[in-house]
Amino acid sequence: MATVIINGKTSSVKDGTLILDAARDAGVEIPTFCYQADLMGVGSCRMCLVEIEGQKKLQPSCITPVMDGMSIQTETPQILKARQGVLEFFLSNHALDCPVCDKGGECELQDMVYKHGPVEGRYAESKHRFHEKDYILSPVIVKNSNRCVQCLRCVRVCDEVVGRNVLASLGRGHEQEETSFLRSRLDCDHCGNCIEVCPVGCFMRLPYRYKSRPWDLKGTDTICPYCATGCRMVVEERDGEALRARAQIGVGINSETLCARGRFGFDFINDPRRLTTPLVKKFGKLEPATWSEALDFISEKLSGIEGERIGGLASPVLTNEELYSFQKLMRSTLGSPNIDSSTRWDPVVVENYIAASAMTSGGLSVFDAAEADTLFVAGTQLSDENPIVDYIARRISAERGTRIIVASVRDMKLDSSAGLSIRHLPGGLGALMKAAALSLYESKKDKLQGFAGVERFEGLSADVLLGEAGVSSDELAAITKRFETSATVALTAGTDLLRQSCGILALGLLSDVLKALGKEVLILPILDRANQRGAWEMGVLPGLAPGYRTASKRGLGTKEMIEAAAAGGIDAMYVIGEDPVGENPSGVSAFDALSKLSFILVQDTFLTDTAAMADCVLPGAFPAEKDGTFTNQEGRVQAMRRLKAPPGDARAYLAIIASVSGVLSSTTGVCTKTNSMQVFNEIRKEAPAYAGVSLEFNNRKNKLNKLDNREALAGASEGGFTPVAMTSCAPAAEQRGEGEFYLITGNTLFHSGRLSHSSPTLTGLQKGAALELSEADASALGLSSGEEARVQGNDYEVTLPVRLRKGMRDGVVYIPEFFPGVSVERFFTTGVSLPVVKVKKS
Amino acid sequence: MNCSCGVGKRIKDFVKSALFLDFIKGMHVTLGYLFSKSITIRYPDEEKWIPYQRFRGRHTLNMTSEGKELCVACELCSKACPTDCITVIPMEDDTGIGITDRVAKVWKVDLVRCLFCGYCEDACPTRAVRLSREYELSTTDISRTKFEKRELLLPESVPEQVHGGGIAKAKFVRSKDGIKIVANLGKMKKMRW
Repeated sequence: MATVIINGKTSSVKDGTLILDAARDAGVEIPTFCYQADLMGVGSCRMCLVEIEGQKKLQPSCITPVMDGMSIQTETPQILKARQGVLEFFLSNHALDCPVCDKGGECELQDMVYKHGPVEGRYAESKHRFHEKDYILSPVIVKNSNRCVQCLRCVRVCDEVVGRNVLASLGRGHEQEETSFLRSRLDCDHCGNCIEVCPVGCFMRLPYRYKSRPWDLKGTDTICPYCATGCRMVVEERDGEALRARAQIGVGINSETLCARGRFGFDFINDPRRLTTPLVKKFGKLEPATWSEALDFISEKLSGIEGERIGGLASPVLTNEELYSFQKLMRSTLGSPNIDSSTRWDPVVVENYIAASAMTSGGLSVFDAAEADTLFVAGTQLSDENPIVDYIARRISAERGTRIIVASVRDMKLDSSAGLSIRHLPGGLGALMKAAALSLYESKKDKLQGFAGVERFEGLSADVLLGEAGVSSDELAAITKRFETSATVALTAGTDLLRQSCGILALGLLSDVLKALGKEVLILPILDRANQRGAWEMGVLPGLAPGYRTASKRGLGTKEMIEAAAAGGIDAMYVIGEDPVGENPSGVSAFDALSKLSFILVQDTFLTDTAAMADCVLPGAFPAEKDGTFTNQEGRVQAMRRLKAPPGDARAYLAIIASVSGVLSSTTGVCTKTNSMQVFNEIRKEAPAYAGVSLEFNNRKNKLNKLDNREALAGASEGGFTPVAMTSCAPAAEQRGEGEFYLITGNTLFHSGRLSHSSPTLTGLQKGAALELSEADASALGLSSGEEARVQGNDYEVTLPVRLRKGMRDGVVYIPEFFPGVSVERFFTTGVSLPVVKVKKS
Repeated sequence: MNCSCGVGKRIKDFVKSALFLDFIKGMHVTLGYLFSKSITIRYPDEEKWIPYQRFRGRHTLNMTSEGKELCVACELCSKACPTDCITVIPMEDDTGIGITDRVAKVWKVDLVRCLFCGYCEDACPTRAVRLSREYELSTTDISRTKFEKRELLLPESVPEQVHGGGIAKAKFVRSKDGIKIVANLGKMKKMRW
């Protein structure tokens, strides 16, 4: 600890604290431009100069650490004069086109000059102009270098946080410009973090360009609806049109960062194709109707159907309150146990995944995982699917020296921060983890005498496992060495484990071995739908009730429901926000199966394929149009607020569920609560893990930049459940022949699920799907980047442009999920998680 | 205490009434105006009042001499407006209709709410917004009190150089919209108040 005297007040701070941080802790404000919490200090702007007793010259406080007994003055006449001088220098070459600049009104330079600036400048020479017109750096970023104050925040955020390294400082002196090489178009993540950190109007959003002024905007605190990282952001609207989304420094786990999907993908809210009125099928055609007509129709149709012959499917992008009310409506009002929250995952696999990733023992902060000695990133394309977790891992590994091991099929951006990157065969993750567990077990056999699950090693041989995983023994030795020398190990449980269920058992085995070796094991689930974990915790699974309790009666999952519909086993479906027809998750055609039902009720925001064949469609609302809570992958429960009313007659799903429940039953057990807080209080009682969760803190700006709000993490679930044992875990791969490839799927950086395809900006960033394959495979096929290739398999064929990836495993092709026009699910036959396809030059 | 019964006052009243002094005083005003020049403006058919330059009437949006819009849609006028009667929505334009690539998509003023304070004029960084000398705003149609950018960009009926503060002869102009009465600025007579 060091004792410092700031403006005469004595305070004691940790050794190595910067003077700026010490002053801010003591409540003394020092103006800054280039300082940004968590980024490397550069001290380039000289705005934060302070006077230190005994030193002749003023010192920049943002890069000077405190020393014991230091006496610091921050408001002497000399400092005030120096600040004026710095600002005069900034303005001497600043474009001063504030009326035109998009930053005008929220510009740090404007604020600074008002507060500390000189009354007039003395610089009379002509200003240096870099260019006359703003130039476009990327489809979402527009640049004006004339306004730059050379703070280098953009360069540092791109390098240290995003890890793209596409911006740099070119030129020197008054010609210094922070831009891409030769001002060329950026080939980057288009995340816009440079826009967020820019203190002036140098980097600007292209979609928001000249749309509004900051004082016209009305914003609200909400959560990004794309992946399950749970980034907090503010969506702002003008005259009912959502115009921009921004992150706030010091709020949420993401602080000032967002990815392209979060920052630019909110504009699906403004889509004119959205449903605005209830639709009821009359004479085979969907006709607009009033709410009371629609509800009467539903009550008439549904009341005649036996409870168990109704299937329920809710999207994992609904709020906890909506999901809870939905399962309550299904289970108690309608009396149906058939309820699921995903069209992709098998409920049995999900239950095993929940158990293996220790979700029942409560939330785990992503910061704890990133601060572990070793972070094993497996089963997820982290940099594309959950970019903010990638940013956090990169930031913390650079700061604290976390050793990152990346195990994936395709290369990813995090490889550059990882000490070890392993490219395993598709479907080989389970084998890799088993091999690691086996090798750890065998090297420490004497220590692990009483290991409980010893029978799980029976019949395993390291060579066979390494062959299955496609990993060399040197790489395995490197992994186990890292595990052995770490006290805490964090494992990620990505969605690939849900796709290839073998990995789940291997994850359990590996974590058990590591625990037996006395290491602290943290398992961080990595999910790709905003409230997927919340959906499971709210009991929107056929076998689980809220709070991970075993349901009194086990119902059907999505696939079984569709198969039952085809076989006449169920009569009606209630679908919220999902599109089983468009996604076709089952072996049988979902369209044919659902046509046999006597009644389909759909609540959605768009007229999806399922909605188009429904008997009644009720228009719903997006996040930012409703209140509620999301539980992210860590188990962090965060509240979001409503920004504006949904268009037309559309209503929040919670209100719709309450009205449907109201018309169906007048007895007890109905869920007619329309206030999300009331429902959340009920959830607190039903799911004890949520009892102690604090929602308040989340919406407050946090002065000390402590992003990790642990009161928001869900607690451990009492009792627990035993998952249904998985019948088989043999890798469901077919043998690959000559000229054939394994097909893997997943999300891309710009698209996840159907929602992102309604966003014009994200569609502009990536319109169609591309076939990704390794350079070696492509040259063997005679394909180069951008050429079209024909992919065939399972009686389905699709033509896609080719994109080459340097670090991808040979013999594998990748096609993203849920792209319009590419039904990637049709390559899969039932029971096969890793199909084989043929690729030809088109 | 007022003394109304003094001898001096009685004599004064007698002299006043004997010489009809009050009557003459009144008649002096009446007859004076009877023979002086009339100050009645025969508005609008024959004459029109041209206000001084400082007059604050309906808004106009100015252009440069090359015909480019001066307005950069910075929205400072609408921010400065105490009655919130100005709506500005900016847009990007590369065709060069404005002095920058930021121009107004919508520039709307609701004159029913406007109190002609001139704050918008003061706030404008490019001197695009001016309160003109247009004062003939009465209408029986409420929609005619809202003015859009397209109408506000039309040249002012009284050019800025004209000093104003006088009466101009009105003339009838026949156009395809009907007959309009406009002021003939060439024959303006100064008003002496």
